[in-house]
Amino acid sequence: MFITVTQSLLEGFLTTVKLFTLTLVFALPLGLVISFGSMNPLRIVRIPIRFLIWVIRGTPLLLQLLVIYYGPGIIIHQNVWGSGDSGRFFAALVAFVLNYSCYFSEIYRGGIQSIPVGQYEAGQVLGLTRTDIFFRIVLLQVIKRIVPPMSNEIITLVKDTSLARVIAVYEIIWSGQSFIKSAGIIWPLFYTGAFYLVFSGLLTVLFHAIEKKLDYFVV
Amino acid sequence: MALLEVKNLKKSFEATQVLKDISFSMDKGDVVSIIGSSGSGKTTLLRCLNFLEQPDQGTISVNGELLFGGGESKKVSETEIRRKRLHFGLVFQSFNLFPQYTALQNVCLAPSLAAKEEGDFRSKEAEIRKNALTLLDQMGLSDRVNNYPHQLSGGQCQRVAIARAMAMHPDILCFDEPTSALDPELTGEVLKVIRSLANRHTTMIIVTHEMAFARDVADYVVFMDQGRILEQGRPEDVIDNPKEERTRQFLAGYR
Repeated sequence: MFITVTQSLLEGFLTTVKLFTLTLVFALPLGLVISFGSMNPLRIVRIPIRFLIWVIRGTPLLLQLLVIYYGPGIIIHQNVWGSGDSGRFFAALVAFVLNYSCYFSEIYRGGIQSIPVGQYEAGQVLGLTRTDIFFRIVLLQVIKRIVPPMSNEIITLVKDTSLARVIAVYEIIWSGQSFIKSAGIIWPLFYTGAFYLVFSGLLTVLFHAIEKKLDYFVV
Repeated sequence: MALLEVKNLKKSFEATQVLKDISFSMDKGDVVSIIGSSGSGKTTLLRCLNFLEQPDQGTISVNGELLFGGGESKKVSETEIRRKRLHFGLVFQSFNLFPQYTALQNVCLAPSLAAKEEGDFRSKEAEIRKNALTLLDQMGLSDRVNNYPHQLSGGQCQRVAIARAMAMHPDILCFDEPTSALDPELTGEVLKVIRSLANRHTTMIIVTHEMAFARDVADYVVFMDQGRILEQGRPEDVIDNPKEERTRQFLAGYR
């Protein structure tokens, strides 16, 4: 039984890891774009972006999943997400990317705004381009500052993926829960916790290594 | 012809007029000290020369080339500003070294990026490095080239910052209170290297509160008060025999 359960949970866990990884792949860069938007001197850019961040951070991710999956069908009477498992997964991915890029954008913004203006000015008077100032001077300092809050947020994402089951994405909690109905046992559900623990444990080690790697300088 | 010619420079921040009609000039090899109390506009003047602030009016010319004409449209391209500001170098009060780079990397960064932009980094790389090492050596830092800023004292940081500014070969090297963040001992070592630059006829504008140093090293002293140049001339005139009552008052604080 234990082997069967483990195999089934691993299958669900694969979906969890896929959702987690793809969310990061898209949300990390998109968050940077959103953070630039939220700091844009033009109100016409800044205000809508801040509004979006407010809405996304101000409502539950669970609700956003439902609205994004069912919303288009209700409003334009069309299933934009495609059918079956892959359609639901795609809708979940969009919701996660949107949600997490808004959270990431605020972390980026905090990091970018914490860099002293003197760093930019030193780059300017040396004749550096704006692009070089950002990528050669500011970015690494920002990364160093945001690793701790980012690791927090990313570890939260590991567990937040479980919300995707609300639109029937078969992630690991779904797999564990299914044994209640099919076999009348609840321990597989509890057992899923071990998978989360191992995964977040690995991430913790990884982030610790990154912090160590950036220890050679002080901001 | 004067190397630097500043005429009728004016700058306001909202309602506060920080620079009211500043005019002065200097020749190649001159060392000009700008003295005056805090808030007199000294730093703003340096920032205008380095294009960190845009003056409202007036002109700035270097070698007869009009860098800033005043009243022109605010749309000057970034490339254009970058080219113009390279006539000047600026050493900040708070050093502003890049913390993730070693002393050597701090000095090499700007020349390397400039060479990359020109597309001849490969041929120039060795030369840039050699020049940086020479500059750091002049600053007395040959044993510190591979240290990161947090491993250096304030005086050493400021000397790296001076080498970094010089690596772009500015016509005029500006110092904005270079020793104000340093204790007296570290101040001494930074003043020593600035003095050695003066002996080698480096053209410099030094905003400082070190009166004895200004008197000693400057060919020309400018006293600023409330956004105006109240008195300017040779140090033995301005510092030892000031004509204006306000200058006397200010200098009395240093006796």
